[in-house]
Amino acid sequence: MSSPVEREPLLRVEGLTKAFGGIRAVDELNLAVAAGELRCLIGPNGAGKSTLFSLLSGIHQPDAGRIVFKGEDITELSPFRRVRKGICLKFQTTRIYRGLMVGENLTIARGKVRGTNGRLEWALGVLGLAGETARPAGELSHSHQQWLEICLALATEPELLLLDEPTAGMTPEETALTADFVIKLSGQGVTILVVEHDMAFVRHIARGVTVLHYGRVFADGTLEEIEANHEVRRIYLGEQ
Amino acid sequence: MNVPYIVSLAYQYADNLAFLLLAALGLMIILGVIDVINLAHGELIMLGAYTTTLAYHRAHLPLPACVLLSFIGVGAFGMLLERTVIRRFYRDKLGALVATWGISLLLSQGMLLFLGPSLIAVPLPEWTLSYAGYSFGGYRLLLFGASILVVLLAWWIFYRTKFGVRTRATMQNPAMAQALGVDTRRIYLYTFAAGSALAGLTGGLYAPTTTIVPLMGTTFVDVAFITVVVGGGANPILGALTSSALLASISAPLSSVFGTFMGRIGLLLTALVIIRFLPRGLSGYFQDLQRRRMAGARS
Amino acid sequence: MRGPLGIFSRVGGRQDLGRGAAFWVAFAIVALGLVAFPLFGSAFYLSNLANFFVYVPMGLGLCLLWGYGGILSFGQAAFFGISGYVYGIVAQNLSLTPGASLLGVAAAILATVIVAALFGYFVFYGQVSAWIIPLLTLVLSLILETFMAQTAGYQWRIGHVLLGGYNGMTGIPSIQVGPLEFGGASIALYLLTVIAMLLGYLGLRLLVNSHFGYVVVGVRDDVERTRMLGYNVARMQVTVFALAAGLAGLSGVLYVSWGNYINPSSMGLYAATLPVIWTAVGGRSSLIAVTLSTVALKWLADSLAVRGGEYAFLIMGALLLATMLFFPAGIVVSLNRLWRRARRQAP
Repeated sequence: MSSPVEREPLLRVEGLTKAFGGIRAVDELNLAVAAGELRCLIGPNGAGKSTLFSLLSGIHQPDAGRIVFKGEDITELSPFRRVRKGICLKFQTTRIYRGLMVGENLTIARGKVRGTNGRLEWALGVLGLAGETARPAGELSHSHQQWLEICLALATEPELLLLDEPTAGMTPEETALTADFVIKLSGQGVTILVVEHDMAFVRHIARGVTVLHYGRVFADGTLEEIEANHEVRRIYLGEQ
Repeated sequence: MNVPYIVSLAYQYADNLAFLLLAALGLMIILGVIDVINLAHGELIMLGAYTTTLAYHRAHLPLPACVLLSFIGVGAFGMLLERTVIRRFYRDKLGALVATWGISLLLSQGMLLFLGPSLIAVPLPEWTLSYAGYSFGGYRLLLFGASILVVLLAWWIFYRTKFGVRTRATMQNPAMAQALGVDTRRIYLYTFAAGSALAGLTGGLYAPTTTIVPLMGTTFVDVAFITVVVGGGANPILGALTSSALLASISAPLSSVFGTFMGRIGLLLTALVIIRFLPRGLSGYFQDLQRRRMAGARS
Repeated sequence: MRGPLGIFSRVGGRQDLGRGAAFWVAFAIVALGLVAFPLFGSAFYLSNLANFFVYVPMGLGLCLLWGYGGILSFGQAAFFGISGYVYGIVAQNLSLTPGASLLGVAAAILATVIVAALFGYFVFYGQVSAWIIPLLTLVLSLILETFMAQTAGYQWRIGHVLLGGYNGMTGIPSIQVGPLEFGGASIALYLLTVIAMLLGYLGLRLLVNSHFGYVVVGVRDDVERTRMLGYNVARMQVTVFALAAGLAGLSGVLYVSWGNYINPSSMGLYAATLPVIWTAVGGRSSLIAVTLSTVALKWLADSLAVRGGEYAFLIMGALLLATMLFFPAGIVVSLNRLWRRARRQAP
């Protein structure tokens, strides 16, 4: 413990456990994410990816273990306080205010943050939402709704962005656009964790990959290492 | 603390428990299965009391037959309500609440116009038991027995019959139950009818003990609402039983020392404290506890 | 949206009906007409109108709470009553002190807001399901009515003021500012109720079109989403609940200044129902609709009550049920939609 401040990762998860109806969705999971990292979380259905996100964002309370963010134990913190600390989640199923205009959605998300760093405006432009502010959010296409939700999360100016299946239901072109966007966002210094099923997306991102299986970290490494790992191929890709 | 005093306390506890249980059980079953609050529940109890009273005085039926008539009659009325109104609000819980409130106004004011400000009550059967200077109303003890019987019957239907299995499946996941061939609309219809029939039964059973006025429903629903809030909808039978057991232990001593009003205040404060810490009520808490225990057992 | 004009564009924002110039011209004409009415109307009409307008802040409070905030409450009447009684106790005890009535107003509204905030703390910080709030507020109203109804007799007094039991508290002085007395048949009270109504409406319209208002709507549409954008949803809900209660408190104070008495039935079952009926029937998503329906239904109920209270509540119940079945968005709001559709289809 020579210089804990420097070596402390942005997010550290220790022994995190959460059970639902007798099944341990997350089982003594350990994870560390450094500042500025962009990492994909993959794993078969029921591996605990979304549960992990719900624990990180505070929607659910873990049965055991702790979550440390920027050196502070946030395990007991309520969800909205975590957002204020800099963790924001894009839900798995799109959650925007469908009855409100796009601009009104952003008004709510932006909160009292006034002097913006321009990132939100940039994101709206890249994702084709800049001209849509006067449209009801519920009338947007499925992909634009997903992108709007990412923009809502960005409006809170997070340091750690949790994206739960950001490209579900998108065409290959839209998936590629989303991946490019996520890479650029990461380049601006936002730490990003992505849960994604779509391996095309994960390959496009081509960064660190963590494989979850039965609620634990099964493997951890670069994309190449993970793709070369026979055990991962067996559990995840169903190969013998 | 001598033995007779304890016996007298137990009697008051049983009396309070029976009242809370009978007032709330029907409401709670409807909440648990359909996830709708029926604000006209008190008026259904009033209809039950009127049915019993009228059947007793005008048709000269024996009291048990009158109460049975209340049970069946109000149950049938509930079925009619479900078909005409409640059904439209399954997707809009607050809408259901407001609509049933409209029904409650219609029923109580309609009854006032129809049968006047009050009826002559059914005479209270005069069975009394005395013990060491205390006297206990036999009818009150009978009400306690009836409340326990009703809970047992509900439990048996819920856990030991095919209908009960389908109902519990519908509670857990209506879409899944439907996919497995359960006619959920029919489950909702019968559940609402059963909840209404329980209200009718309660009205019939308590008819000899109160004044029969169109607004009598409110004396039942304020405690019924608190019992429901404290019990929660996760498991109606367990919720009703534990909630009324807890609340009776608060209202019985408070009301015997400070009067009925303080009993009610005590109940409201208890409800506020309970939901602050157990927002899903006692039955929701037990459900979570059970899940956690199951999780522990498998690891 | 900047500068002095910003406030106008905000008041005319999307979160209510009536956005065109025509609406504001009509609004100004009606407002001027109401203010100028004492020049033509008799004291009898002024007093009657004041009695209808008194309830508008209470109705608007529920509109904000239920229509915009998604929280249904039967508690408005309870807060109306608490405010009326507290004002009565303070103003009557200090009746010889100058400025006592203003102190009474402040104490009454403050007491209301504190009770609402305490109640709200337990309810909203527990994150309860939506159906629990109407149930517990209904119980609160019933208990308060029962309590006040049994406070007859000399032992139930605060200072030298008798609570009065079932018959209520009488002899409450009207609000008085200097030489101006806001009594039941006075022009001053009439104008005060008009101002409370107009400012209440405009103020709330400004609020619902502000950032705060959008967050309130966000909480209504998706609690979890709003929480995950960093908002303390529970605190927000307590704030809106207390604000709605404060508006009911304002109505309560105006009412006792108008009638100089208050009784337990002002917090009872039917009193608790009325704001819900006004809001549902007018259309809870619109402040202007609720303003109109509050005045119209109060007038209707009073006219019906002349023929006996049973009919009034029978018809109110039927109106509520029919609205929920056939115009779930409310009658004024539904009519507005029909009219807009017809206009769009016309060449």
